[in-house]
Amino acid sequence: MYRWFDERLSLSRFNKKFLNKAFAVHHSYFIGEIALFAFITLVITGIFLTFNYEPSIRTVKVAGKAVSAAYASVLYIDSLPFGRVLRSVHHWSASIMIAAAFIHLLRVLVSGAYKRPREINWFIGLLLLVVAIVTSFTGYSLPFDAFSATATSIGYGIGTSIPYVGEWISQIIFGGEFPTLHSIPRVYALHVLWFPLILMAILGMHMLVMVKQKHTQPNYARKVAPGRILGVPLMPQQAYMSTVLFLLYLAVVFFIAGAYIAHPIEVYGPPTASTPAVKPDWYLIWVYGILQIIPGDLKIPLPFGAVMNSEFIGSILVPGILGLAAVLLPFLDTRSTKMRYMELPTKHPVRTGVTFALLAFLITTTLAGWKQELGLSAGQLWFIILGSSLLTYLVVYYAIIFFWGRPSKEDAGAV
Amino acid sequence: MYKNDSVLPFFGLLFAVALWMMAYFDGQHLAMLLGHAPEELSGGQIGLITFGAVFFIYGVMGYVSYWLEGEELRPGRHEASNSLWAGVAIVLLLILLVALAGVFTQTIIYWSTEGPVSTGFAGRLAGYILLDMAAILVVFKKYFVAEVVVAEDEHSEVPW
Repeated sequence: MYRWFDERLSLSRFNKKFLNKAFAVHHSYFIGEIALFAFITLVITGIFLTFNYEPSIRTVKVAGKAVSAAYASVLYIDSLPFGRVLRSVHHWSASIMIAAAFIHLLRVLVSGAYKRPREINWFIGLLLLVVAIVTSFTGYSLPFDAFSATATSIGYGIGTSIPYVGEWISQIIFGGEFPTLHSIPRVYALHVLWFPLILMAILGMHMLVMVKQKHTQPNYARKVAPGRILGVPLMPQQAYMSTVLFLLYLAVVFFIAGAYIAHPIEVYGPPTASTPAVKPDWYLIWVYGILQIIPGDLKIPLPFGAVMNSEFIGSILVPGILGLAAVLLPFLDTRSTKMRYMELPTKHPVRTGVTFALLAFLITTTLAGWKQELGLSAGQLWFIILGSSLLTYLVVYYAIIFFWGRPSKEDAGAV
Repeated sequence: MYKNDSVLPFFGLLFAVALWMMAYFDGQHLAMLLGHAPEELSGGQIGLITFGAVFFIYGVMGYVSYWLEGEELRPGRHEASNSLWAGVAIVLLLILLVALAGVFTQTIIYWSTEGPVSTGFAGRLAGYILLDMAAILVVFKKYFVAEVVVAEDEHSEVPW
């Protein structure tokens, strides 16, 4: 049968060219693969969920209680054999995809893999992280329980805060002023069709560019095979490793998803008039934390009657500035040669220090999300956020200098 | 970053344990000490467990890669050291896989006909099956698949 296909499609030629492709070997590459496998799991479990979910907030009766059809259909999914576990796997995979993509981004940052010629893939990776977060967020509203309705209304409010076009953008995404009858069908279409298609396209581009440009290799490869790609062929070695990783990923997620139902809608209940305000999911708590520590009545007037309010500044402007800095980062490197090998973080104390300071910033702004529970004032939290970020930078910078010495002139010149 | 060593995977596992402990002590354990039965995880706990899971998978996979592929690659073909005991291990793991698959099928049938089964039990069962499959592949690759290492021209025509 193989020969039949081979005569028509020249499969052996394809195999020789593509399946022997060399893949560099380093454990840090697995982090990006974890994000990829989380996405594949999301698609597979998502297909199961779409078969049983009803994207509507029309009222139906469940055990004599009036609830939305969306909420009732998620209760139905939870009642199916293994249904609750699969829905939980979907939820955990969304979280893991974002976390893995973020750690992958940090790995690329500390190893200098964003430099020439891989700037394009750095931009694509940043876009991928943003779209993954937005896709995950749109999934929140779908069960239409108390938690998701309030969390989504916060997102709607953030969207409307964008000067000039915010109202327009939010109404396109949510089919009018959230929640309307059109909100759930509109967000559903975005969550199960358009955003996954966009994610697939960006992921495809990311991997295509990676295959073309190759990984930055571990440093020892410089001695073993200078100027060449030292690695194992896609088939069978790399395929074995990737399959083991996928199985291990699924095993861990099934363990966790079975033990902890991440979004138990039976506990949250349907939305009511007295539903309390909730915190967003973990990957947006740092934004919520910034909103907690800037004055709520902050308003900066703009031309033509528009204003930048605190919601816009905290949740769009500050993350936007960080994103812009990330986009501009590769341009700080002015090398004319091709970057072939991973750089050691210990030879770049400034860059490593800034990366850890960024982490300290994200962790402390996340903590600020618990401002009321911690009983701290906005001023105290600002002091903690800025102080810990600065202190982290200094500690990491001087620790590297102390333990590994000052970098050479050549290394010190590169960011 | 210098070679495929086991240092970072070790710290990956260490972080995983630390994050898991933080998630556990953040609410669950304290609530139980106070006599409450917490019904759901907080956003912070979900975040901690998520990062813990990523570090755990990375750490374990890092060790697997270190064991199967070594610290440094050397171009050429390196034959696998076929082992009788590895063959026996694979057969035992396959028997275990069939048994676990049988229990899983029975669990789903019971769930459909008699009523809900604990999600924790069902999730663990699926996890054991997947772990068993991963273990079979790992042992097979280590003892029965020759390691081919290539030094490819960086201007290869793949994909263009």
